[in-house]
Amino acid sequence: MKNFKINHRESSGLDVLDLHGELDAHTASQLEESLKLLINSNKSNIIVNCSELDYIASAGLGVFMAYIEDVRSSGGDIKLTNMNERVYNVFDLLGFPTLYDILEDEQDAVERFSNEN
Amino acid sequence: MSQSNKELQNRFEMKTVLETSRMLIESRSSDFVLNNLLLIIMGKLLSAKAAVLFYDPIKKIYKIEKAKGLKNISEGDQVKISLKESQKNCSHITYNDFSDQLPKLAENMENSIFFPLRTSNQHIGFLFIGPKATQKPFAPHELEFAESLCIISSVALSNSLLFDELKNTNRKLDRRIHELNTLFDLSKEFNLLTDREKISSIFKFALLGQLFIRTFFLVYKTPDKNTLLASSGIKKSFDQQEIDTLFELCPTEVKAVDDHCYDKVESLETNQITNIIGISIQGEKVAVIGVGERLNKETYTETDFNFLKSLSNLAVVSIQKTFLLEERIDKERMEEELSIAKSIQRGLLPDPIPTIKGVDLAAQTISSREVGGDYFDIAETPDGSTIFAIGDVTGKGVPAAMLMANLQSMLHVLLPVDIGLNEATERINDLIFKNTPSDKFITFFWAKYFKDSNVFRYVNAGHNPPILLRDKSDQIEELTEGGLLLGAMETISPYDQTDIQLYSGDMIVCYTDGVNEAMNQHQEEFGEERLYELILNNRHLSSQDLMNKILSDVREFAKNKLGDDLTLLILKIN
Repeated sequence: MKNFKINHRESSGLDVLDLHGELDAHTASQLEESLKLLINSNKSNIIVNCSELDYIASAGLGVFMAYIEDVRSSGGDIKLTNMNERVYNVFDLLGFPTLYDILEDEQDAVERFSNEN
Repeated sequence: MSQSNKELQNRFEMKTVLETSRMLIESRSSDFVLNNLLLIIMGKLLSAKAAVLFYDPIKKIYKIEKAKGLKNISEGDQVKISLKESQKNCSHITYNDFSDQLPKLAENMENSIFFPLRTSNQHIGFLFIGPKATQKPFAPHELEFAESLCIISSVALSNSLLFDELKNTNRKLDRRIHELNTLFDLSKEFNLLTDREKISSIFKFALLGQLFIRTFFLVYKTPDKNTLLASSGIKKSFDQQEIDTLFELCPTEVKAVDDHCYDKVESLETNQITNIIGISIQGEKVAVIGVGERLNKETYTETDFNFLKSLSNLAVVSIQKTFLLEERIDKERMEEELSIAKSIQRGLLPDPIPTIKGVDLAAQTISSREVGGDYFDIAETPDGSTIFAIGDVTGKGVPAAMLMANLQSMLHVLLPVDIGLNEATERINDLIFKNTPSDKFITFFWAKYFKDSNVFRYVNAGHNPPILLRDKSDQIEELTEGGLLLGAMETISPYDQTDIQLYSGDMIVCYTDGVNEAMNQHQEEFGEERLYELILNNRHLSSQDLMNKILSDVREFAKNKLGDDLTLLILKIN
């Protein structure tokens, strides 16, 4: 079994998902579940911390594409933080920085959320 | 200006040119080069307005790459310059001389200059410098300075443009590699999956992520109908009619959605679908995929569409595989059920064939399928007599087998009941007529054999007449008396039962139509005549041997292709 794990915690009133391991076609549905759970309970200020994420495939990126509109239409956002260079390169390659807030550190995302609200 | 001052200025200018050239050549960013180039020249020539225009050799226009102090135009704007090639090769062009051919980049263009930017083999564009703040014309040494800088910058620019292009190509290559990885990943993943929903969800995410889109749908041709397999960002769903129209409409190639498509399928417009693509496998259209605009407004390239096709292909093949798999599982289950049914049916027939004192007995049924509608029975009644029965249900396979089982149970329920054979036949007929559709019926023959008196009492309900061959007679007799076949209509006239006296050496052969109607390759039936002759020629054989002889002759005649169930029941009085 592939090693992928999602941890959910709250930080400064925001919901943080910590991704661990490899997010690919096989594990993308787990991320979808976690995001759906948050959206269904009306949590829309979401930080995805990628510090422990080793690899991301297109299917993983697709999950963010599929839910960003839902989150933004309810006044929130998904902000991605703490990516390693390899993971960032994939995001960059497919054009994500134009649409998503990708930040150095989780704290930056917390600040940005507090400025936005 | 004194000689020494002039010298100082020359040296200063020379130094600037040298330093700038080093900085520019070492830089790999055209943005950095342009910025510096403009600032240095503006500072040196004391002008507040400047711009760099890049030439697009494909569109034959100029693009404002970098602009400073200009209100009329902004970076990214496109302008036309209609100078001849030879005119572009001079060191600088004064706006006053060519005001018709040059664009008006500032309010006041008087005394402004265009410096060509070029290498020995490439025209890159122009550097534009607006008039001096003092409105005076530029001095020759100022123009010379700018020209030198332009020559040096051109080389640096050409390099950095090349570098940009290389970077761009590398990035494209990276994307292609990433696409291949995605396809590879997915094909691995799909191979392991049998769940259609899971396949379509993975397909969706890979597509959204890789192509940076949010709106798409995939319509797929299932064994039953065209159906929506996966979609995202669809605001108004497609109804069945739209799905069918769309499927018809879409060619098996990329098609930009036009007004005609929007007219035919309204949901395409509602959902802002820009391109549709028909996917075909082995020449047959199996799916249609539609995509909306990309979120970064980039247009789809041919490679994007190729990726889209490959990915869709992969998903559709995987989905098809799941249907085939289900079919196979269904078939396996059916086979298993049939094999159980077969053993149940076998249990309904007497096995082993009982021995009856004074009678040499043989019986066998062969089904053309797993289960069949032929029936025979040999059973003892409470008064010590024996019942012989043979029957043939219309049709073959499972439906016939069920009716045969029904007949068997009726017969066994009636066995201990003290009623006549004719009356029992009547009851069976009425029950079967009531319980089965009108096109299902049974030809049935049965007899009660009183072994003490050797009386054979029979009723023939529409069955192929069994053959009676008396000892020392060459005359075949047919046992035809009885009545209508079972289940065709309610009993109106009672069934007749007939008693015949049997003697030692007499033989009765009962059979179903699988015997006489067995067909050879010339579409000829085996027929009664052939059967009668066979029996006459082999009358000395035991019941078992005669049965085997008939079976092997029929098989040989039909070249082992038995189209119907086949049953024989033979008894010989010792």
